[in-house]
Amino acid sequence: MIALWVAAGVLAAATAGLVLHRAARAAANVGTTDPTLDVYRRQLTEIDDLADRGLIGEAERGAARAEASRRLLTAADATAQPWSHDAGERRPVLIAAGLAPVLALGLYLWVGSPGLPDDSFKHRLSQWRAADLQTLPPAALAAVMRQVATERPKDPDAWRYLALAESAAENTSASGRALRHAITLAPGRADLWELLGQSLVVEGGGAPSPEADNAFREALKRDPTSIAARFHLARSRVMSGDKAGGLAAWTALLADLPANDPRRPALQQAIVEARSETSAVAAAPPGGQIDMIRGMVAGLAERLKTQPDDPEGWVRLVRSYAVLGESAKRDATLAQARKRFAGQAAIQAELDAAAKTEPMK
Amino acid sequence: MIDEIGGFALILGLVLSLTQVVLSGAARVRRSAVLAGAGEGAALAAFLGVAIAFAALMHAFVVSDFSVANVAANSHTEKPLLYRVAGTWGSHEGSMLLWCLALTGFGAAVAMLGRGLPAGLKAVTVATQGLLGTVFLAYTVFASNPFVRLLDPPVEGRSLNPLLQDPALAVHPPFLYSGYVGLSVVFSLAAAALVEGRVDAAWARWVRPWALAGWSLLTIGITLGAFWAYYELGWGGWWFWDPVENASFMPWLIATALLHSAVVTEKRGALSGWTVFLAMAAFTFSMLGAFLVRSGVLTSVHAFAVDPTRGVLLLIILGVTAGSGFLLFAWRAPSLAPGGLFAPVSRESALVLNNILLAAATATVLLGTLYPLIREALTGESISVGPPYFNLTFTPLMTALILLVPAGPLLSWKRADAQGVAQRLGLAALIAVGAGLAAYAMVSPRKAFACAGIALGVWLIGGTLSELAERSRAFAGDWAETRRRLTGLPRGAWGMTLAHIGLGVFVLGACVETGWKVEAAETLSLGGHLKLGAYELTLEKVQGVDGPNYDAERATLHAVRNGREICTPRPERRFYPAGGQTTSEVAICTRGANHLYVVLGERREAAGAKAPVWLVRAYWNPWALFIFIGPVIMALGGFISLSDRRLRLGVGKRAARPA
Repeated sequence: MIALWVAAGVLAAATAGLVLHRAARAAANVGTTDPTLDVYRRQLTEIDDLADRGLIGEAERGAARAEASRRLLTAADATAQPWSHDAGERRPVLIAAGLAPVLALGLYLWVGSPGLPDDSFKHRLSQWRAADLQTLPPAALAAVMRQVATERPKDPDAWRYLALAESAAENTSASGRALRHAITLAPGRADLWELLGQSLVVEGGGAPSPEADNAFREALKRDPTSIAARFHLARSRVMSGDKAGGLAAWTALLADLPANDPRRPALQQAIVEARSETSAVAAAPPGGQIDMIRGMVAGLAERLKTQPDDPEGWVRLVRSYAVLGESAKRDATLAQARKRFAGQAAIQAELDAAAKTEPMK
Repeated sequence: MIDEIGGFALILGLVLSLTQVVLSGAARVRRSAVLAGAGEGAALAAFLGVAIAFAALMHAFVVSDFSVANVAANSHTEKPLLYRVAGTWGSHEGSMLLWCLALTGFGAAVAMLGRGLPAGLKAVTVATQGLLGTVFLAYTVFASNPFVRLLDPPVEGRSLNPLLQDPALAVHPPFLYSGYVGLSVVFSLAAAALVEGRVDAAWARWVRPWALAGWSLLTIGITLGAFWAYYELGWGGWWFWDPVENASFMPWLIATALLHSAVVTEKRGALSGWTVFLAMAAFTFSMLGAFLVRSGVLTSVHAFAVDPTRGVLLLIILGVTAGSGFLLFAWRAPSLAPGGLFAPVSRESALVLNNILLAAATATVLLGTLYPLIREALTGESISVGPPYFNLTFTPLMTALILLVPAGPLLSWKRADAQGVAQRLGLAALIAVGAGLAAYAMVSPRKAFACAGIALGVWLIGGTLSELAERSRAFAGDWAETRRRLTGLPRGAWGMTLAHIGLGVFVLGACVETGWKVEAAETLSLGGHLKLGAYELTLEKVQGVDGPNYDAERATLHAVRNGREICTPRPERRFYPAGGQTTSEVAICTRGANHLYVVLGERREAAGAKAPVWLVRAYWNPWALFIFIGPVIMALGGFISLSDRRLRLGVGKRAARPA
């Protein structure tokens, strides 16, 4: 705090010094003539220069000289009122130079936050590292783990912990990146592949994906007993339509799990739900799926309100409304997007193509 | 502490700007050199304060101090250092601080370099510059303060818009703002001239270096922006008459007109009222640009966050500042002395015509920019005014101007010989028409407008070189004399020649690129081909890339022509997790002045397909390089003119010539 006031004082003194110095210099600089005459004299010289170099003709030289001379005479005849160099004017200058920092200080006390210290990321990081890690919020823990991973770039566990911390901080993309890095360091470790698969599933909003399945398969290659890999691969089969195969794999997994394994109830629940869904989906009206899609589309529309600089998002939204047969919304969104990306021919073309998508039957 | 010193220094800058107004104003009223000197000292001190504030904000960005709300909203620890630095001016608040830095910087420059100005004119100029600084600094401190602190800072920042994380865009705003705000000095000099009642040849000479500096910086700023839009936005174009682009283009057009009208005022004492009007209009358009970008009335990739309250405040600043200036003009202009007379065929007339065309062109751009906004405000109906409107209105005016440009410097002052000028430009005209016809006959597909554009570009370059040859008597056969004349040419003349040639180079690039651009788009799987004119692109691989603060897919393509590999474009599609945004990194292969431009689009898992596909777009942009080189040549011309000792800033007296 004291350092702030000292620095502010030095700055205020320096600026006041500048004002006073320039005033004192002006007081000493007596006898300055009107520079207008110099300009016209220089013009005359330049005209002669150009003519001497043959860059303008004699006729032009004569005409230009005549005009410049007339201007020079007019300027010389003009009675310029002299300016005072009276040092007595220093008093208002002193008052202004003294008052400015005081006024600035008053305004600063009103607008600024004098008691608040700087808080660089490096400083905060050192504070977090010194603290009990378990008390840290997930984002801070992830920041600490990022630093640890940078310090130990060859240690796969440092990157694994970073991935877990990023995942806890809901930064799934960074979690996946950390795991991929860990895998490049220790490609033979099944647990890393398993975690990567899980991270990809989370990143995909819980839905399986070819990349996630691939990671689980890599985990299984290295550890055929990997519970998570077997569970997710079976789930992927269930969700992709191979319910019988998926249920069989889950049932086999259940049989392999020890009776006291805490994961058994969750697995049993999944099997029950899959079996009931098999019958429910067959009986349920398609409206359920449509509602789910509508929910996703509404989510996309909401996101575009806050992050509108996403041309592909707009194209997807227009296409989605077209697929859902909501032509009014499709047209409104198309108009909005066309306006936003006015003139970007490629995006306009994609938007138009999306709007022409056939509605779902 | 550094953050708070920044906050204090910013407020000190505001108070010192106000002090500058009071001291310089009082100096003019009391005709006191001491008060004037103090006012100049206050201008220097205000700049010092704002510069320290700017450095403090930059420091906060560099060290990722998220207790500063502006840093938390616009930075991220994983952002590379360059973009953390550029983040200083990447937000609304930071960009206003940059604006204020440039404004006080130019105020300090007037105080330091304006030794050759009459005391009254200088005092009023410094006071006006201080007034502008006060208004904008007050807005920054009270409505857009970049030093607002957070008691509970977030762990991580929200990061800068990834589209802005680009080297060209990192340096684009400093140039653009220096150009915009450089025109503030011209505004202040105009206001001072009206107050003093003296708009004469000497005043025009004092205005020109500031106008030249502003114009040159603005030229570079706009070119960098266009170049960024060209390779970062990935739509294959470089200018789309986006309202924000127009906002920067209008002050440039007016500054161009001003540079030419100031020559007439300087040489002949004529057009003084018009020159003052342009001087005021140039900065008014700069402020209009600041308002359009920040008010929320525009939706553009360039526009800052929507904020109607700040927009209204900026509109008030624009209205009061420009309104006061033009009221002063309306009051004082009738008393300005009329200038020298000139014949209808003369250099003055050509420059008047130049001004009429540039002013009309600015009016068309202004109409095309504001009409949709006004219509939407009145009727709620949104319309888009795009290239067709500008092609029909702006292009004919510019065509007329380009036809006129080579003739202007060949015309004599007062009264010129039109026939003689036509004869001297005959060869250039012949070459231009020949080039246009040859292009029409030889280049397929035939594009009449593009060929006319080639003729215009060649006419500009040829005509300008004809003028240079004429001045240096290059065709007289006496090479020693030609060399002597060329080395004796004032730098201002070289600057003009370069600026006109640069315009010609730009016209060639713009017309050829627009006329013969080839575009193709295809969804490609690995190994897939895309035909683009004479080229065939093959998608070899797509691999993941871990960037410093993004994940990307990088495609490797092979571009083949006539069985020979030409280049290996590697476009990227980046995802920035911090902001959840995706950008395209275009791959550009330069072949002479031509560009092979490749964009990697989104990955699609096509239904039923075993492998993913990517949307790949490619463009063949002939002579695209000229579009960006031309304006650089123009700006270079501006800087060379600026170095002409006749215009050199701060020149007081010249040593007497030896007898």
